[in-house]
Amino acid sequence: MVDNYYIMIAGVGGQGSVLLSRIIGDAALMKGLNVRIGETFGAAQRGGAVHSHVRIGKEVYGPLLMEDDADALLALEPLEGLRRGLAYLKPEGVVIINTRKVYPIDVNVGAAEYPPVDEIIEALKKLGEIVIAADFTEVAEEAGTARAMNIAVLGAYAKVIELVDSPFDKETLLEAMKGRVPSRWLEANLKAFQLGYRIAESALKEK
Amino acid sequence: MGINQPGKRAILQGNEAAARGAIEGGVQVAVGYPGTPSSEVIETLSLVAKDLGFHAEWAINEKVAFDVAVGAASVGARVLATMKNAGTNWIMDMFATVVYGGLPGGLVIFSADDPEAFYSSTEQDTRWLAKGVGVLILEPSTQQEAKDMVKVAFDYSEKFELPVFVRSVTRISHSSGDVTFGEMRKERNKVFFDRHHKLPFRYNVYGPFKYKGKAGPTAKHVWHLEQLEKIKEFVNEVPLNFVEEGNTSLGIIASGMGYAYLKDALLKLNPETKPWVLKIGTPFPLPEKLLKQFVDKVDKIMVIEEGDPFIEEQLYVFLKDYAPGKTIYGKTKNRVLLRYGELGLTQVLNAVAKYLGMEPPSIPKDRKTLKEEISKILAPRSSALCPGCQHLGTYWGLRFALLKVAAKYGKKWKGVWIVNGDIGCYEQGGYGIFAKEITPNEDKESRKYVITNPYEILDTNYIMGGGIGLAQGQYQAGYRDGPIVAVAGDSTFFHACMPALANAVYNKAAITFIVMDNAWTAMTGHQPSPTTGITATFEPAKVFKIEDVARALGVKYIWTVDPYDIKSTQEAIEKALEKTVEENVTTLVVARRECALQVVRRLTRKGEPIAQYWVDQDKCIGCQLCVQLGCPAVGWDKKTKKAFIDPVLCVGCTLCAQVCPVNAIFPKTGGKKLPDIGGEE
Repeated sequence: MVDNYYIMIAGVGGQGSVLLSRIIGDAALMKGLNVRIGETFGAAQRGGAVHSHVRIGKEVYGPLLMEDDADALLALEPLEGLRRGLAYLKPEGVVIINTRKVYPIDVNVGAAEYPPVDEIIEALKKLGEIVIAADFTEVAEEAGTARAMNIAVLGAYAKVIELVDSPFDKETLLEAMKGRVPSRWLEANLKAFQLGYRIAESALKEK
Repeated sequence: MGINQPGKRAILQGNEAAARGAIEGGVQVAVGYPGTPSSEVIETLSLVAKDLGFHAEWAINEKVAFDVAVGAASVGARVLATMKNAGTNWIMDMFATVVYGGLPGGLVIFSADDPEAFYSSTEQDTRWLAKGVGVLILEPSTQQEAKDMVKVAFDYSEKFELPVFVRSVTRISHSSGDVTFGEMRKERNKVFFDRHHKLPFRYNVYGPFKYKGKAGPTAKHVWHLEQLEKIKEFVNEVPLNFVEEGNTSLGIIASGMGYAYLKDALLKLNPETKPWVLKIGTPFPLPEKLLKQFVDKVDKIMVIEEGDPFIEEQLYVFLKDYAPGKTIYGKTKNRVLLRYGELGLTQVLNAVAKYLGMEPPSIPKDRKTLKEEISKILAPRSSALCPGCQHLGTYWGLRFALLKVAAKYGKKWKGVWIVNGDIGCYEQGGYGIFAKEITPNEDKESRKYVITNPYEILDTNYIMGGGIGLAQGQYQAGYRDGPIVAVAGDSTFFHACMPALANAVYNKAAITFIVMDNAWTAMTGHQPSPTTGITATFEPAKVFKIEDVARALGVKYIWTVDPYDIKSTQEAIEKALEKTVEENVTTLVVARRECALQVVRRLTRKGEPIAQYWVDQDKCIGCQLCVQLGCPAVGWDKKTKKAFIDPVLCVGCTLCAQVCPVNAIFPKTGGKKLPDIGGEE
């Protein structure tokens, strides 16, 4: 098993990136590893860029990743995925990216252009090794609530790590998720997890 | 969090860990004022305070919080006071004084600094303040240490009868790590009062206490300095300072996040020549005996610490006598680390690699080129007020009221208004997110600038409660080129504006003050304030009306408006500005509406739909007035030259519909208009 494993979670405020980082952290604890999670969010309560550095290993101290350090990038929003992928993704890294856009005010008022999502995906393919892209918000809606989007992304990640060296497996992630999600939303989240897993499965088969 | 469970492992945020440390230490009173990145300590404690039988509160400011803390420690209780860097400045009067005699109860100050100023006006390093006062400083490197240090700080505080200062930073407070729980202290300190406990006239600096030939405060000063000498000895024995052996003559002294990054860097570099490392858990006072042993082993010393060269400067003083030939590398003379910004792993790793004579890792050239190419398509995501934020309505009203009033008195003045900002969500009125590069002017002329969105409206912005004071100074200095305005939020009003407002009335400052009351301390994460109606522990509380307070302070002209009613808001501000000009008086406008986020959250929880808005593309004339509102939900389509509303973000506040000159914006059917403040009850 790998000694050190680093994940970057990128999104915008309100998408559940903090919960996702805690679930992954719990999974690492279950594996007897140490965890550090560093979070930065904008000044605004809603809609600001949020990203979590997750460092897992037998020995970890600080919460920050270095450039090109991330074994995995979990992008809950495409533009934020590109932003953090550019800074942190390893050439061997894997990416799960939600294609549902949340427009920044800069784009809405016409001060900037939102890059086409297929260009974002292409760029991440150049920067990393495996990229699984899907509208995970839609997947979560199908599972019962759009708010389970983060868990759908986690499900896809659970499939991808079967192909690469990682400290977790599907069962540990699932177990950790159960421990963090409110019980009334558990069913929808379980479904979102499974749907996300299957999306990654079929995407990987196509390759 | 509130269950004993020693040995349990959990992922805790640094602030949660500090809260757990306070619980394990048997805290009896916990008090603070919200300030990012420190707020979660009191938030966490307030959830378990009732069950564990201690008192937790949000005070109206840090000064009051700290005075409350000192009071509790004066009757023997264990107390935690929390604050952010700026808040620590607020406690200084009592902090500098209470060490003259000290306290029987353990008093722990938890101060969270913010290197890189993610959430702050400055990068201030508060360790200087604690050193200036003369108390023990502890600095954690991990969340585990944040917990352990807060816990042990109560014991240290009681041992020396002086406050202990725990210095956190953003990367401790707002990062999370695995923490192993410890045993919760079962006993509680006895609460008692004896004015002569262990020292005559202990709690009265002017009491006739005589010591070493001195009396009163000077005698207490002598006592304090003697305690400090004992602490200087003590820090050589505490396990918070320790040496890790190396095999070269290179030494590294590291503290706080500096130590964490150093350990990560050494793991990544895995050097053959291992430096000697002195981990400092007590940046003041430094453990001089340990320092001597360490210095004897090495020729060069690198210092890695977050913030100012605080340990480094103490080291210069120390080495001057003890070992003048040894070189120090850090943030001053032999600069290997930046004096500004946060340290970060990358910077530390590169500096340590060079120090050890190793090649730091680098990104291959073709990958760099690839990244540069890709980064061209990247778009920014600027921080903005939230969709439906009522401050958008207030700022719109203010913008047009200023234009109107400036023009009305065209003969009297140049119409160059000044809008003084303050600290809270509305400070984003000064972020200038669409600002162009500015060339400053060298002459001394008052100049008017065109405002096209709310993010350009604030002319000044420094600190909590600063705006209302600045406005008075501008007026008293004789500024008459245009109206003078100050804005503040409700929590800020109680924090620091009340004395300033009394001062304005008393000294006849002709200024207009706008308080934007959204019923919460919103920016730090919606802690209750005196306008909310609950305490930190969710007990019902008095709802303060800012108008009542202002009236009592002597403000004669007061308008109350709903910022979701743009027309009335603008009219009220106009009237206030005119009244100020015509009668030379202080006027007040209270723009009141509960924070939209809180209202929307409650509606969502109940499953009630919100009436979202849409732009009729046939009716839209492309004037962009709605875009100028600055709401993140209102967009502009460059191709069609029409406005649109982002359905993901819209919360149905109606503001854009109100500013549309051709009535092209409509509610979708089936939803509900946002209720008034606390309206659904």
